[in-house]
Amino acid sequence: MKKKILALLLALAMALSLMACTGGTPDPTKAPDPSKDPGTEDTQKPDTPSGDKIDINVIAAEYGQNTKKWWADFQDEFNKTYENINLVVEVVSWNDIYTVVNTRIIGKDAPDILNIDVFADYQADDLLLPAKDYVSEETYAKFYEAFLDQSVVDGTVWAIPDLASARAMYYNKDILDQAGVDVPTTWEELTAACKAIKEKCPDVYPWGIDMTTDEGQAAFAYYIWNNGSDFTDADGNWILNDPKNVEAVEYAVGLVKDGYTNTDPANETRYNLQDLFGAGKLAMMIGPNSIPTYIADNYAKANTPKEEQINYAFAAIPTNGSNPSVSAGVMDRFMCFDNGHSAEKLEAIKTFFDFFYEDNRYSDWVLMEGFLPATSAGGEIVAASDPAMAPWVDIVGSCKFYPTAKAEWADVKQGVINAQHQALLGSNVQEVLDSLQAQIAG
Amino acid sequence: MSKTTAPSAVPAKKQNAHSGKKIFRKVEPYIWIAPSVILMAVFILMPIVTVFRMALNKVTKTGALKGFNNFENFINVVKAPAFSLVLKNTLVWTIAVVVLSTILGFMLALVLNNKFRGRKIARAIVVFPWATTLVIQASVWNFIINKDYGTLNTLLMRIGLIDSPVNWTPTPGAYFAWEIACGIFVTIPFVTFCVLSGLQSIDASYYEAATVDGANYWQKLFRITLPLVRSSLTVSTVLNIIYVFNSFPIIWTMTKGDPANHTDTLVTYLYKLGFYNGRQGEAAAVSVIGFLILLVCASVYMIYTLRKGDDY
Repeated sequence: MKKKILALLLALAMALSLMACTGGTPDPTKAPDPSKDPGTEDTQKPDTPSGDKIDINVIAAEYGQNTKKWWADFQDEFNKTYENINLVVEVVSWNDIYTVVNTRIIGKDAPDILNIDVFADYQADDLLLPAKDYVSEETYAKFYEAFLDQSVVDGTVWAIPDLASARAMYYNKDILDQAGVDVPTTWEELTAACKAIKEKCPDVYPWGIDMTTDEGQAAFAYYIWNNGSDFTDADGNWILNDPKNVEAVEYAVGLVKDGYTNTDPANETRYNLQDLFGAGKLAMMIGPNSIPTYIADNYAKANTPKEEQINYAFAAIPTNGSNPSVSAGVMDRFMCFDNGHSAEKLEAIKTFFDFFYEDNRYSDWVLMEGFLPATSAGGEIVAASDPAMAPWVDIVGSCKFYPTAKAEWADVKQGVINAQHQALLGSNVQEVLDSLQAQIAG
Repeated sequence: MSKTTAPSAVPAKKQNAHSGKKIFRKVEPYIWIAPSVILMAVFILMPIVTVFRMALNKVTKTGALKGFNNFENFINVVKAPAFSLVLKNTLVWTIAVVVLSTILGFMLALVLNNKFRGRKIARAIVVFPWATTLVIQASVWNFIINKDYGTLNTLLMRIGLIDSPVNWTPTPGAYFAWEIACGIFVTIPFVTFCVLSGLQSIDASYYEAATVDGANYWQKLFRITLPLVRSSLTVSTVLNIIYVFNSFPIIWTMTKGDPANHTDTLVTYLYKLGFYNGRQGEAAAVSVIGFLILLVCASVYMIYTLRKGDDY
């Protein structure tokens, strides 16, 4: 008897918790959309007006210390300007944002607008609206064409760029002078410069490489792009084991094997390298446009005297032979979830984006954390207001991006990092890239 | 929803009231334990059920379940070339940390069980590694062994033992050994305090009798101390196996399982699968495999100790 009651209670508790986790009852007011996959259709939530106002909820990534304040001010200003709209922006750290968004999606509470780096996974689950549905023509025309191309799947643009960063080679002028070498522009010159630095300044690492799980795909990209190759061919097929890619990885790993780089590229992140560079222990490294801010902040925090601060500049990333130098761009996006929005709400969302991309406000957003603009008008304002940013605005307009629109990207990203690690441990580069290509392309 | 209260329209007969009270008495204890049962169901059973569901389903990158997929997640996991390496690492990690920390913790407990000046302070100091967050512990260890600015190299150079900085982590194996050392360091306090509690419950008269009989230190250790602290040791060992097997922060903070999975354990591996590769179904499958391994270990322990219990 006792056992029966206990079993009954346990079953009841289980059932209750199961109910709690299934997230409530379906909303009968919402008409099903026949064009949708039935598996994902029920992940939508209807608009819930607060009074007469139209609610827009946004999840935005936290880029740095100023992001929260910027969005809070933006929200106030927007809500004051448009009294019929109630905008709520939730700023979430990069560590949590993917989990937060996925939990909200599973709980049928997807945000209306999301600011994050990737979009392809959400698009693959039919959760997004095409960009043209929620961006006014005027705003849409502002973006660099190359940026919009990065968010295309099946000929449709699904997300719009909010900002970008680009990469270049930073070098310590004093160390290069001491070693008597010019700024290298080709791989040949780079190897020679590393050799000279190693001889003349034995306490300094000539070249920095980060092949860690954090950003090892960037290292792969720098070398293959500057060897005239890419992740995919012109038709978008993966060509990870292309002979030029093999050559590029062999070159990078060769620099490590010859002792020209930091000791442990598989474990030393870009931030470790930036610290070494700022301390004058690393002569050259490839890094983003935010490095000057990073180094200046560190000097300010540590009260580093002027004479201990390094004298540095940046230049194009060295290439193999006569290949053109390619900078790597990283771009983040806005996307709009298909939550069954009414025509009114879509208009409100268009208003939000018009307000956000208003040229002055947008350049303020970009400069807030030291990023680069994704619109040409924003670029002009940023270049005019900060001369140090001007060369970067040129670079960002012409850099290459990771193929994040492809569904296999997450696997490719981890795959190339793993391949580089295996190469560092002595595996044959051709074999590891062949095996990766077979795994990805099937 | 159906109601379980007594019918209200018909007046209750005495007998009914009596049996109602009887039933209530029987049910009462279960009402009291219901909150904890519900809590366990929500926070323990539910996640387990969810993980099993994810492991058996095709899961999209945004976490939507797309139906049973014939154990494909498990097949993919087992077929992955890294899996056997990761499984081996997990066993090495668990056995090395548990065995060495048990031996060292036991020795430390013997020392701390002696009466000496400052014993209380010494005991408090032993708790420190345990009371500090694992992420901070691991970061500090990483800082100590770093080649470029690590304190170990600075110290050795200051006292003149080495001329130039030494790379303490030249191979993945070396890095893994440092991680194991860090794991042992943070596990010792737990063993020490488990054993110490056992040691303090041993009656001093056993040792007096043994001394009178002419037993030496080792005889006392193996014939009196060890058998009497065995139950404390078993508890600490079993709990440690579970904690260490599932430990994430040390390895994640120090190497993230790199290079090329050479320092990954099942837990860091599944984290990467789930949150870096977006393969949540496979990550759940790895989690289930880990769960089953621990279940077997725990069952073997339970059967073993229950049998032992019957002997006495």
